[in-house]
Amino acid sequence: MSSKNDILENIKRNIKFTCDLPDISCLKGMEYADKIAQFIEITQGVGGNAYLLKEGEDINDLIKTLYPEAKEIASNLPDITIATRNPDTIDDPHALDGTDLGIIQGEVGVAENGCVWIPQNVRQKAVYFISEYLVIVLDRKNIVHNMHEAYRQIKFSDKYGFGLFISGPSKTADIEQALVMGAHGAKGVTVILK
Amino acid sequence: MSTKHSEAAKRFIANKEQRTWHNETLWLVREKRDRLAMAVPEWEKLRELSSEIKLHTITHLDKYAEQFAQKAEANGVVVHWAKDAKEHNEIVHGILAAHNTKKLVKSKSMLTEECHLNKYLIEQGIDVVETDLGERIIQFMNIPPSHIVMPAIHIKRQEVGKLFEEKLGTETGNSDPTYLTRAARKHLRDQFLSADAGMTGCNFAIAETGDIVVCTNEGNADMGTSFPKVHIVSIGLEKIIPNLNALGVYTRLLARSATGQPSTTYTSHFRKPGEGRELHYVIVDNGRSDIIGNEEHFQTLKCLRCAACMNTCPVYRRSGGYSYTYFIPGPIGINLGMLKSPQQYADNVSACTLCYSCNNVCPAHVNLADQIYRWRQDLDSLGKADPMKKVMSKGLKFLFGLPALYNTTLKFAPLVNHLPRFTVYNGLNAWGEGRELPEFTGDSFTALWKKGKVTKSGKKCSTLKKQKP
Repeated sequence: MSSKNDILENIKRNIKFTCDLPDISCLKGMEYADKIAQFIEITQGVGGNAYLLKEGEDINDLIKTLYPEAKEIASNLPDITIATRNPDTIDDPHALDGTDLGIIQGEVGVAENGCVWIPQNVRQKAVYFISEYLVIVLDRKNIVHNMHEAYRQIKFSDKYGFGLFISGPSKTADIEQALVMGAHGAKGVTVILK
Repeated sequence: MSTKHSEAAKRFIANKEQRTWHNETLWLVREKRDRLAMAVPEWEKLRELSSEIKLHTITHLDKYAEQFAQKAEANGVVVHWAKDAKEHNEIVHGILAAHNTKKLVKSKSMLTEECHLNKYLIEQGIDVVETDLGERIIQFMNIPPSHIVMPAIHIKRQEVGKLFEEKLGTETGNSDPTYLTRAARKHLRDQFLSADAGMTGCNFAIAETGDIVVCTNEGNADMGTSFPKVHIVSIGLEKIIPNLNALGVYTRLLARSATGQPSTTYTSHFRKPGEGRELHYVIVDNGRSDIIGNEEHFQTLKCLRCAACMNTCPVYRRSGGYSYTYFIPGPIGINLGMLKSPQQYADNVSACTLCYSCNNVCPAHVNLADQIYRWRQDLDSLGKADPMKKVMSKGLKFLFGLPALYNTTLKFAPLVNHLPRFTVYNGLNAWGEGRELPEFTGDSFTALWKKGKVTKSGKKCSTLKKQKP
């Protein structure tokens, strides 16, 4: 408690003038004529893939075609019938080791940078990171132009206090600036736009 | 008199191939940053907002820090306050000891570097594993980072290959980056799955919601906090911003400025501890609250630690991170070092050409070059001015005060062009060390002016080629 008081007192003592908070809402962020096309293009640009689900096309068949070698598939989504494990019913996240493919639900897509907002919507968030490959299902109507819009819309779930934006696969360039996909997280990400 | 920076830089530039690679690679990062920035029409407005939001937050920091802590506590987070590095390290160790932690997985944090946390924890018997690939490489080599975003930028792939042969048992002679990254992925996955606690830094702390936000490309901060029961976050006071709308400004600026990406792969928002887990925030001062009162230099607190100032700096690119005596190199490091201890880190202020490129790329409008200039003015009072340059400055002051003598001297200056080399480039001419003097022209500006040879059109300027700084 005393360190807290000392720090806050020292801050107060050292503030010699004050500045107002600027009006952030006056900033108009970039907008795109075709948000969906832009989202698909930028997702490819960051090393991922985005796929528009056609009318009548079965999402399970599509995923099987995209990831024919995936054996252990983790998902809690009701539409996904090919899942072999459910991150909601697993008590220990370590049990998700060995997941070939995770299939998760995204809530908001961002056209300027390929980010998809995922408010934690599974019990074990490890599935977002430990899966060798990741499929994010997103409603194409939920794509916004830029991060300002995104931050006005995103919500956390009542149940879990975590959420994140994912933009493409995990990557690193720490060895001589050579870009390698799949540092620790997914080696590849496909966003399926429903 | 050489500074420690110039002495160390000599060692770096002795390897011409390495120096050229370092310079050109960082310049490529700068160019990527430019392409991304120029594609955002409101880029300059974003930089202004970023600066104004930080100025507002810093000048109301007592209020925001308290709000942040209150919100976090309401969310079930345990909040700790550390006045200095020692208190920070003791708090972290206390949490780890209470959970009988044997292995800690860490994601990159310059604040824990500033506090020398790893050394402290290792001495207490804790196995500390850095999990960012670059950080793991330099941890294996037992060396500090040479760049704050790309910590192993000075290491060649062959060196990493040899290192991994020894540490991870990779194939002899294989230095393919994909192969080595895969080996590290496997090795670090074992670490994530066997750790008792995870630790991260913090890119942004949101006062209104109590969230902390961590940005990574690798996903190591997320792997490191998805399995262990305990997550500890080290937060520098200056990371606090008012709300999520402000965060929208910063997430648009950070990755574009740092690596020329539209976003980092992961932008993770931690609000509450997970099921059956603990989340601890350690809010660290370590000199920051004093900086607020320093009117000449308090703007360094706006820094986002994106490293754009390093990537663009002609001195950093050509002299490497280890030429600086403070643990953060480049323009921001020069300034932060001087704020930490002017006596100890004054050698770095000479590592600047005052080209102002850093000011022009900084996403928070930190006036880095102006501040370096101000520190230089203080060198004499700190007893750190170069004695040889002081003598010459005094001589020049005398000369500038006497126009007749000045003009006569200037008239004879071209003679220097014909002097034997050893009479110009020797220990007495500090400015002739490591650089070539320009040729003195036959006619001075005053002489040209009098002869009517100076035109006002300024046409000649347009023929100047745009050069990289």
